[in-house]
Amino acid sequence: MLSSFSQKDMIEGEHMQEWFDSVGKKFVLAFVEGDRWKLYFKGLGVTLEIALFAAILGMVIGTVVALMRLSQKRNGKKTIWARIAGVYVDIIRGTPSVLQLLIMWFIVMKNSQNGVLVASLSFGINSGAYVSEIVRAGILAVDKGQSEAGRSLGLSKAQTMIYIVIPQAIKNVLPPIGNEFIVLLKETAIVGYVSLTDLTRAANQITSRTYEAFMPLIGAAVIYFTVIKILTILLDKLERRLRKSDNR
Amino acid sequence: MIIVKDLHKTFENNHVLKGVSYHVHQGEKIVIVGPSGSGKSTFLRCLNLLETPTSGEIWFDGQLITDEKVNIDRIRQHMGMVFQNFNLFNNHTIMDNITLAPVKLKLMSKEEASEKALTLLDRVGLKEKADAYPSQLSGGQKQRIAIVRSLAMNPRVMLFDEPTSALDPEMVGEVLAVMKELAETGMTMVVVTHEMGFAREVGTKVLFMDEGRIMEENTPAEFFANPQCDRLKEFLSKVL
Ligand SMILES: Nc1ncnc2c1ncn2[C@@H]1O[C@H](COP(=O)(O)OP(=O)(O)O)[C@@H](O)[C@H]1O
Ligand SMILES: [Mg+2]
Repeated sequence: MLSSFSQKDMIEGEHMQEWFDSVGKKFVLAFVEGDRWKLYFKGLGVTLEIALFAAILGMVIGTVVALMRLSQKRNGKKTIWARIAGVYVDIIRGTPSVLQLLIMWFIVMKNSQNGVLVASLSFGINSGAYVSEIVRAGILAVDKGQSEAGRSLGLSKAQTMIYIVIPQAIKNVLPPIGNEFIVLLKETAIVGYVSLTDLTRAANQITSRTYEAFMPLIGAAVIYFTVIKILTILLDKLERRLRKSDNR
Repeated sequence: MIIVKDLHKTFENNHVLKGVSYHVHQGEKIVIVGPSGSGKSTFLRCLNLLETPTSGEIWFDGQLITDEKVNIDRIRQHMGMVFQNFNLFNNHTIMDNITLAPVKLKLMSKEEASEKALTLLDRVGLKEKADAYPSQLSGGQKQRIAIVRSLAMNPRVMLFDEPTSALDPEMVGEVLAVMKELAETGMTMVVVTHEMGFAREVGTKVLFMDEGRIMEENTPAEFFANPQCDRLKEFLSKVL
């Protein structure tokens, strides 16, 4: 019993040794050889660049579109702006983002030399639709009495929005906006379709060059995960700080 | 001061105001009573156009304010409104609640507005709450602040929509006291309330609204002693 146990142990030990060797080789192949690790970080740079520009653009578009959608005539009917904004949100939500990207790339901006810009615009326009829904819900969640009180004092619609409603809506929208940014960051992985080398495509390229999929793909996943984890922690902190100063 | 002519208001298929006509003179204190759902709030909210009337005319100081071309923001500067649920701005201190409108509308400098706010706060005994936030106040305190906030605009008329209905009983008195004091300064007031004592004591006229119409109008003494229509008799027997 005892001897067979130790024998098995030895065999397992050898296996372990082999495994470690091969893993080590694969690791070197995927990350070290030819300074390949630089490619991942270059790819991550592209991913972050697109995500950041798109997020800013999405926030601006989203806020404007939300206000357009909420606009009403004096008799409570929808304005032409509300209709236009509604159509925009419908179209964006009703079509795949890959297709939107391809249309932007091959049709709308086919003469542009700046791939990151085209992708940022495409994702920003896409994100704007989702952000507008978030902002709209955040504004509607502010008690109607708040804006009625503002209007009854003679403040204009815009003044009531700026000084009373929007500051309160920001606290409502921060958590879902953070979530939208995380979704956006991951969704940029489709830019490989238009031959931009983001993190996902970098990993994919290394896979085909080394005939070895495990390390590059898992490595890319770990990088995405780490970035998003850090982002989540930062957003949590911000949210908690806002809630602490919440005077409602 | 306010003349209402054949006012109608319909929400979708709900005909809420069915031809209300009335004339509020300067300095009057009009108290409106009536069963829940009879259109009292809707009527009051039409006066400052928080609700857009379906038809009819409202004249304020000789101006037809139901006219499409009128700048309603300008009109509302002269009509204060106090809500059942206070509606203080949650994201501002008490001081900022009071000074926000006069300052942003460029009617006063920040210093003037603060000075005025402190004087008014002192009058309602809440000067020490200037830097507090609404969430730190009791209901009675919030409503007194809401009244001060409206007064800071120097309104020509004050509209009250059940200002004490959301309050705990022990806080009703402090708010009514402020309103009484305001009445004594000669302010024109239109008050929707269930406080019959207030109607009797402060009102110059009491109106009974039912099913979207003013069913009866009288001096407080006559209104309570000699109700004419059956609906009012029934109503009074329930609330008195
Ligand atoms: N914004 C609104 N939309 C639809 N119906 C409303 C609205 N406001 C009030 N109503 C309806 O109008 C009627 C009168 O309401 P209201 O004026 O609040 O009565 P009161 O203040 O006398 O209790 C009610 O049937 C109510 O449901
Ligand atoms: Mg009411």
